[in-house]
Amino acid sequence: MIDIDSVSVQLGSRKILHEVSLRASSGKLTAIIGPNGSGKSTLLKALCRDHAYSGVISIDGRDIAGMSPLEIASIRAVLPQSSNLPFPFTVREVVAMGLTAGRPGVDARALQHLPEEALARVDLGGFGGRFYGELSGGEQQRVQLARVLCQVWEPVIGGVPRYLFLDEPVSSLDIKHQLMIMEVAKRFARQGGGVIAVLHDLNLTALYADTILALRDGRVVASGRPEAVLTDAVLQRVFDVPLRVGVAPRAGNFVLPQSVEMNELSVA
Amino acid sequence: MDSTMSLAASGARTRPDGDRSHIGRITVIALVFALLAAMVLSMTTGASGASLGNLIGSLFSGSEGADALRDYAVIVNIRLPRMVLGVLIGAGLAVSGLLMQGLFRNPLADPGLVGVSSGSALGAVIIIVLGGTALAPFTTALGIWSLPAAAFGGGLLTTFVLYRVATRGGQTAIATMLLAGIAIGALASAFSGVLTYIASENQLRDLTFWGLGSLAGATWIKVLAAGPIIFAALAVAGFLAKGLNAMTLGEATASHLGVPVQRFKRITIVAVAAATGASVAVSGGIGFVGIVVPHLLRLAIGPDHRYLLPASALLGATFLLFCDALSRTVVAPAELPIGIVTAAFGGPFFLWILLHRRSAFAW
Repeated sequence: MIDIDSVSVQLGSRKILHEVSLRASSGKLTAIIGPNGSGKSTLLKALCRDHAYSGVISIDGRDIAGMSPLEIASIRAVLPQSSNLPFPFTVREVVAMGLTAGRPGVDARALQHLPEEALARVDLGGFGGRFYGELSGGEQQRVQLARVLCQVWEPVIGGVPRYLFLDEPVSSLDIKHQLMIMEVAKRFARQGGGVIAVLHDLNLTALYADTILALRDGRVVASGRPEAVLTDAVLQRVFDVPLRVGVAPRAGNFVLPQSVEMNELSVA
Repeated sequence: MDSTMSLAASGARTRPDGDRSHIGRITVIALVFALLAAMVLSMTTGASGASLGNLIGSLFSGSEGADALRDYAVIVNIRLPRMVLGVLIGAGLAVSGLLMQGLFRNPLADPGLVGVSSGSALGAVIIIVLGGTALAPFTTALGIWSLPAAAFGGGLLTTFVLYRVATRGGQTAIATMLLAGIAIGALASAFSGVLTYIASENQLRDLTFWGLGSLAGATWIKVLAAGPIIFAALAVAGFLAKGLNAMTLGEATASHLGVPVQRFKRITIVAVAAATGASVAVSGGIGFVGIVVPHLLRLAIGPDHRYLLPASALLGATFLLFCDALSRTVVAPAELPIGIVTAAFGGPFFLWILLHRRSAFAW
């Protein structure tokens, strides 16, 4: 369980987050949604300790402020929005960097098979020998996901869950790979790990999220189960455009943007 | 059934695609032999006719002629310290360059190019000019280590300032870094110029010899002064390999991977300043080793620092001994300052990097 308790972030004189609270359970995929500048990524950065914050963030009861980088790295991995590398690493070398922290009490050689397995999981089997810089943006993002999976390969170790933090993981991907990455994340949660993902796509949110936190202007507008957050009224308050939530037979919820012009026509 | 299938089935030890660690290992071993060869070359070239073979021969035959004594003196008091110093400085400069490139996430970072060497030089010039007067307590307290210590201090200060100026939020802008390096280097050189202006005639001669960049004045005292510092920096660098790999993904990601980034950066900066400072203190400005050596090795074995670090130390030492042997023979019996030789290799090489890899730097 990740417990975010009244977390505020101030950058310079501007307050980006106002006392945001969230409980993200292991075994669940928690989505953070909101318009640009709402503080989604800032919240994730606070979770990663990239930003100074006030308030308390704890993982399974332990305040992360008091943990060493190595301790935290052994229980959570972070997928950045994008990564470029200044040197010509091969795909395998990049994925193997996920093993930097190693595992306490596990011989490093016993983990050498993980990069190949992680690459296969993101549909990049056979890409190990390619140069990272020569891949497309979408392929690079999947390589980074494989690296992150390497870091927390087992969603649960000795009864203790591990966590994946994903910062807009699918924004540069085609639909097939968007679904694939969300499936990988969902599977991680199903196996007992916890996932917190910043998402832009409301339909992917509707399809995969177990819990949703909706932010606007650094404040929580709504949080909880999808039925409570994905409603016409809440989404309109969050995104300031007319959106309609529907239910498709055998597919679940979907979110449809409404043209303002058409809305006015129908009102008239 | 094709052969690759059966190979994969039978070989539990099949190497995964993209794993270049075996190339790294083989290269490091090959470079050990290259360094040994360069050490022999260094011991057997020079203005006097003394050769290692003669010396060893005379030792075994028991002859004690004047020639044998002279050879002994030349080899033990002149060539041997020069060779040891060449190994230390070559390794130190190459590893400093590699560490800076990893720290700045930039293949063009080098202590000589971005002003760190100028900062070290300023520290050294301060000691040469003021060591007998204003800073006498400092020089008496530190003895032979006062020059390397001052150069270390100058290098540390410039690296720190450079890092603060050129790096924002863990990202280093290459243009800012190079321009800041030029500015910092110019400032340090200006102060050095002021000190040169007030220097006495004896000090001026010291400054000139030292500033040309040469191993010619190598003595056991200099080995003792710079050796432990460079050796310590190299030993520390050995522990930074995994962190440097992670740092190439950016500071934030390195921290997510478990690297204590702030402490890691401080240690790296101190190691760079120590190796550069100690090298500059005893041999003056020898440029380009830190950029040529790591770059060539990255082309050969890839950018994995676990192999790049030892390989850079070995090739740096080999390259400097080779340049030194060249500097002693090209215009024999006179000698070229070694800085001229490394610049003659390094300048064109640097331009070649720019021409062939311009796109990679996104200018």
